[in-house]
Amino acid sequence: MVLRWLQRIGVYFLVLLGLSILVFVIARVIPGDPARQALGPRVSEETVQALREKLNLDKPLFTQYVLWFKGAIRLDLGDSLLTRRPVIEDVRRYLPATLEIVLLSAVFMAAGGILFGIVATKYTGKWQDALIRVLSYLGIVSPPFVWAVLFMLLFGYIIPVLPTTGRIAQSVAAPTRMITGMYTVDYLLTGNLAGWWDAFKHLLLPSIALMLGGMAQAARLTRSNMVENSMKDYIQAQQAYGVPEKKLLYKYLLKPSLIPTISILALDIAAVFGNAFLVENLFNYPGLSRYGLSAMLNKDINAISGVVMVFGLIFILVNILSDMVVAWLDPRVRLMGGADV
Amino acid sequence: MQARRIVSLFLAVLLVTGLAGCAKPSVENGTDPPTSAVVEEDASIVHTTEDWPTYYDPGVGSDYSDSTTMVNVYDALVFPMPDGSIRPHVAKEWTVSDDYLTYTFTVRDDVKFHSGNLMKASDVAYSMNRMLEIGEGYAYLYKGVVEKCYATDDTHVVFELSQPFGPFIHSLIRMLIVEEDLVKQHYDLTDNTYGEKGDYGKKWLLTNDAGSGPYKTKEFKLDEYFLGERFEDYFLGWEEGAPKYFKISGMVEPVAVRTAMANRELEITDEIQPLENYMAMDAFEGVDLVTFRSGNTFNMMLNTKAKYTDDIHLRKAIAYCFDYETLRTSIYPGAGESRGPVATVLPGFDPTVQAYSRDINKAKEHLAQSKYAGEKITLNLTWCAEVPEQEKIALLLQSNLAELNIDLIITKKPFGSMIADAQTVETTPQISFVNFAAPYFEAGGMLKTRYHSSSCGTWEQMEWLQDPELDAMIEDALSTVDDEARFAKYAEIQHYIYNLCPTIWGFNWVERRAVQSYLRWNAIDAMNQNADYFMPMGYALWAHDMKIVK
Repeated sequence: MVLRWLQRIGVYFLVLLGLSILVFVIARVIPGDPARQALGPRVSEETVQALREKLNLDKPLFTQYVLWFKGAIRLDLGDSLLTRRPVIEDVRRYLPATLEIVLLSAVFMAAGGILFGIVATKYTGKWQDALIRVLSYLGIVSPPFVWAVLFMLLFGYIIPVLPTTGRIAQSVAAPTRMITGMYTVDYLLTGNLAGWWDAFKHLLLPSIALMLGGMAQAARLTRSNMVENSMKDYIQAQQAYGVPEKKLLYKYLLKPSLIPTISILALDIAAVFGNAFLVENLFNYPGLSRYGLSAMLNKDINAISGVVMVFGLIFILVNILSDMVVAWLDPRVRLMGGADV
Repeated sequence: MQARRIVSLFLAVLLVTGLAGCAKPSVENGTDPPTSAVVEEDASIVHTTEDWPTYYDPGVGSDYSDSTTMVNVYDALVFPMPDGSIRPHVAKEWTVSDDYLTYTFTVRDDVKFHSGNLMKASDVAYSMNRMLEIGEGYAYLYKGVVEKCYATDDTHVVFELSQPFGPFIHSLIRMLIVEEDLVKQHYDLTDNTYGEKGDYGKKWLLTNDAGSGPYKTKEFKLDEYFLGERFEDYFLGWEEGAPKYFKISGMVEPVAVRTAMANRELEITDEIQPLENYMAMDAFEGVDLVTFRSGNTFNMMLNTKAKYTDDIHLRKAIAYCFDYETLRTSIYPGAGESRGPVATVLPGFDPTVQAYSRDINKAKEHLAQSKYAGEKITLNLTWCAEVPEQEKIALLLQSNLAELNIDLIITKKPFGSMIADAQTVETTPQISFVNFAAPYFEAGGMLKTRYHSSSCGTWEQMEWLQDPELDAMIEDALSTVDDEARFAKYAEIQHYIYNLCPTIWGFNWVERRAVQSYLRWNAIDAMNQNADYFMPMGYALWAHDMKIVK
């Protein structure tokens, strides 16, 4: 069991290593001179050359990577050309905002997806089922940035009930103590409910825009698996024994039906980080994804590598978590050594 | 039991992720702390948007958002006026030596920095020397011009020039003054980029100011916004209704800007919104559209050393076949006619220079006179990926050239790549699209930067003219201190360049912004009175003269 986990961690390490090489090379081969771009078009060639040397851009690509890698294992990802701060400091600054949005999306996605799946199963073939299926298709086919634009126009402009930009209103002070960096959590921990409500309102539209696709996917999967499992012998037998419907639904039918949903949810939650690039930008939400997008547009090479590595690491963590949850839900996975739980 | 373990593990991972990523960032070197400043709900504020990022250190910044922020936080010796003239500002007066090589400025003795300290002439000298030593931002305007800068006492500062430079006073609008002592206190000596001066205070000045301007920094979130608060001790004082806060945000997404305008969260939009968005905002109740001519021009630079475009007749054939009218009516509606190498709004522009206009017969005549007549001609064009509208212009030119049986291969490139391509004649395409902003309001700056040989190899001159006669004419004009005589020489240069036709001068930019009607702004007044409002980049949004009337 331990060996299997060690193997898995080894594979994840290799994935991260491969990712680091890939993103490092891509960031450097895309057109444009990062030093020139950082200093502007009118700065003298000597000044630009000095920055190139400072960034090691005058060295061969392999040497550049080795130097970057040595720094990365010491958590030194270099300086951002845009913010002129260490990238790791920018990550610490912007990651909590993105985590906050993604966690809220994940909660909505899982709760909404499973709930709608159960409702659709319960009313299979009826209008409720048809409605949920149609809405699910709509959620799946529309990318999050489309929802973001629609929500902005709908709730920011036509019925202006929710804020559409930033993390908090300009008239609201930030949490007095930064404990986690996630405003909603920090406001709660410092007992500022008005601040919490304002921060929560700012999270709503981007979170919902980001989670709709995943929620729709989860609802469809949950429904189809529950419907399929309900035909199986063990469920028929439980019904014949007169097990109450509620118990049958939640204890015997839902649990095994959730396994594919959990796996897909894990991927969807990880994908939210990717979708957040556009959504954060639209809502002018100062998270790591928006920072990453600026980095890409401005060829901020260290920041690009830093952001991609952080998201890669999060992706792996989410996958490990999903494996654990699946192992808990499915004894077969556990017994075959899928996870040490 | 297992469920509890899973939940515990999940929480543990969350905690680790949260704490690893969310630990309080360091605020060393004065970088912005992760807090948010509070602006009272009923406070008067002018909030505008601009393309990001913004660097407001006067030794570093130079683009639009930089300039806008800098002029609101810092002061220069002189100040530009909407008619293109210059008035004293921090400088009370100045004298020029007989050989035009030494300028002595008398600095006002009542200008306070935001720290409360009085400005001294030594601060001015320090600012100029710091800018030159760093070599970024607007330093290019003074490199090779200013040889020495020093204070003789608390109120007199001397600039010694290496050669007479006619537009010197005009160029000083870009030399913004920092408080020497305050910057020196914040040198990061762990960084030895500038020797014993460490980082020259660059890290600290990223998000803190050492200025004397109308607004002092209340908060600067590097990736989000600058928020300035009125500096009550500003040496020019304040009129009633002047905004208490000035905010500039890096938010240019059309939907976000439109929503913010509709909700009155924004007073002035940026100038880079799509036309449809301006039209939509103009339809909002209480929102007006303001347009004014700027000193920016759109140029199709023709590489005069490349095959085909090295022929003057072929260049003129292109100039005569292009459909300027469609460009100015359909692609950039309202844009001004471009007449030669100098923006029509700049002092020193010669109104006798005519614009090229579409005349297909003339185009064919010139093509027939070209040494490439009868050949199958294929040209390469590069447009700037950051300006999507340029693609439409490229397609328009492609269809126009097809009438002359000339093929055009269109390539989209990021501006960074265009700069790299401009470094050699061989890599510079035959046609390159570039928007050019005059750094200060005077024709000389534009002529020197655009057509003097010293700018070959940079994005500013992809024409590669390398014409010694022209260089001599430009140098002679720039060293002429008498305005009238200098402008006469500029006129001669403009005709000379016009006849060489190294550029297709597309149009003069019209700056367009949506504005809340409760804002009083000189640009609006000028537009309502049909008067001109020409302000160099950044100065148009000098919030000191704005008023909020609700």
